[in-house]
Amino acid sequence: MSAHPNSFVLFPIGKKRFALPAGSVTELARPDREQSFPHTSKLLTGVLVRRGHIIPVCDVAPVLVGPDAPVRKFFLIATRKFADASEWTAIPVTGECELTNAELLPPAGKLPRYVIGLLSLENEIVEVVDLERLIGSEVAA
Amino acid sequence: MKRVDKKPRGKHEAVILFAVGEYRFAIAANAVEEIRNTQGLQSLPPGAVTPRLAKFRQTLERDHKRYFVVDSNLHFRLFPSKATRLLVLRESNAAVLVDHTDRIIEIGQLHALPRAFQGEERQWYRGLAMIEDRVVPVVNPAAFMSRSEFTVLQAAVAGTETTKSKGAATA
Repeated sequence: MSAHPNSFVLFPIGKKRFALPAGSVTELARPDREQSFPHTSKLLTGVLVRRGHIIPVCDVAPVLVGPDAPVRKFFLIATRKFADASEWTAIPVTGECELTNAELLPPAGKLPRYVIGLLSLENEIVEVVDLERLIGSEVAA
Repeated sequence: MKRVDKKPRGKHEAVILFAVGEYRFAIAANAVEEIRNTQGLQSLPPGAVTPRLAKFRQTLERDHKRYFVVDSNLHFRLFPSKATRLLVLRESNAAVLVDHTDRIIEIGQLHALPRAFQGEERQWYRGLAMIEDRVVPVVNPAAFMSRSEFTVLQAAVAGTETTKSKGAATA
């Protein structure tokens, strides 16, 4: 996927769409069989197996839209950065994703810290989120 | 920055599959001394039961050795289920109550637990195995009972026994 700085992947969660920088997105995956095992990590709901890789599933919908987020049907596979390595993470989303090019505008008003900018599209303003801050905000809570 | 290495590591390894609640786990076969039923378990003396060590409720005397029995539901923070088998661990004073054991199989790959998992599971599991298209956590036997937990339990039981014998002597 293109890593152009003005390239973003739009993903729906319920009626709202959010965006991630395209450079951090690896793949848009069809519905897959999620598997789970006991753990105590917040937001993680299980793992997917994709081409021999075991990918953790991190459901950020409750953070973005609250507890009543509709059923997530697809997975957006993004790269998370850790201290010494990076790792794929599957983000459940409610519909198909879309690649777009737009100028990243600075966040305006009172927005959560994980919103790193805004995209002004034809009929909507889309929040661009930083995955690390988004997940970190909930884990730290 | 490099990607996390998901390549298999280690050689083939025999593991025992077991279930707790709706979940399936694996444990290295060479970490288990015996699989037995739940007969012969004794309740821990009340003085030895503390909220911090709530997962230990029973003991097993076997070959002049005392084992502290771990409730795996509490260990893995699961809802209660019906335990029918006991895994007596080797080189440990812990035995683990599980719902049932399945079979011994050989696994060829042990995948690292993804870094996104940052909770207690990092101690619970050595890694993940793919078994018949299922992702199965391979448990870390040492995580069932730490050295400090063993010391506290041992002291509590010894203290209770001392009190009992003193009471019997004065009666």
